Amino acid sequence: MSKFVYAIYIRTTAEKLWDALTNPEFTRSYWCGTRHECIWEPGSPWRLMIPDGRVGDSGEVVAIERPRRLVLLWRNEFMPELRAEGYSRATFEIEPVGDTVRLTLTHEIDRERSKLIDGVSNGWPAILSSLKSFLETGDALDLTRHWPENL
Amino acid sequence: MTEMTTESTVYVTYIATTPEKLWAALTASEFTRQYFFNRTVESDWNTGSPWILRMPDGRVDIKGEVRESDPPRKLVVTWNVDWIAEKLPEAIVSYEIEPVGGGVVRLTMTEAHPTPIPAYLLEGGRKGWPMILCGLKSLLETGKPLNIPVPQPPKEPGK
Repeated sequence: MSKFVYAIYIRTTAEKLWDALTNPEFTRSYWCGTRHECIWEPGSPWRLMIPDGRVGDSGEVVAIERPRRLVLLWRNEFMPELRAEGYSRATFEIEPVGDTVRLTLTHEIDRERSKLIDGVSNGWPAILSSLKSFLETGDALDLTRHWPENL
Repeated sequence: MTEMTTESTVYVTYIATTPEKLWAALTASEFTRQYFFNRTVESDWNTGSPWILRMPDGRVDIKGEVRESDPPRKLVVTWNVDWIAEKLPEAIVSYEIEPVGGGVVRLTMTEAHPTPIPAYLLEGGRKGWPMILCGLKSLLETGKPLNIPVPQPPKEPGK
């Protein structure tokens, strides 16, 4: 098992955070220009689209409970080495704490020394930091406003 | 038998600020009291100097020594919990600050345990650091800290 866990506290409401995580109108601002293709129902297919039209990741909605919990099956689609690792599981949990909400992301896969989990361990802190800035200040971090060159 | 560990806790956050402002926020009480559970810091932050993290009621929370000080890039301190009856092995806490372009800096906090500690104690840092460093990010980006209740110290399993 390889696993990455990251908690982030954001001054917002659970509903606004949920919308920022799932609505393409928001994701494209802070999540490197990507957008979800999904109807957000249990069992529905899910894709994360790269701005140039490629599919970045794909999978399925395992569980969805707005605005508390979202579980996605998640396979990388644009890097063959990562795609070969198969499906991982990303769980987003949202809980109010003080004047903030805590988002806990757990991204895991049933294999040792996963390159996918290494990759997302680098990516998630940047994307989620940018999400926090976006919700608290109205501006995402420059770092994640666009899809990285050469990727 | 208590399970022992030497595992580190690492937290990475990206902040729209400058390395100098982030350094100041980590080392000056006017900032720390706003995001570090109301605690203040005391040190001249030179390599080899002592440092203290003080609770709002005046008691010492953490004390140690500055191992490495390279403003505004890297700060490494030893970390000894002062208020706990049973003395714990010393931890090492490092802050690394790297500009990544576009007016953003990456802060990497590492809490390392060169001497094994009871595994359940890691929970303290794993819960606390995201609260502290998220508050720091909000303070630097919005001028306003977060209001998060102080977490309880971890309890030994079965006690």
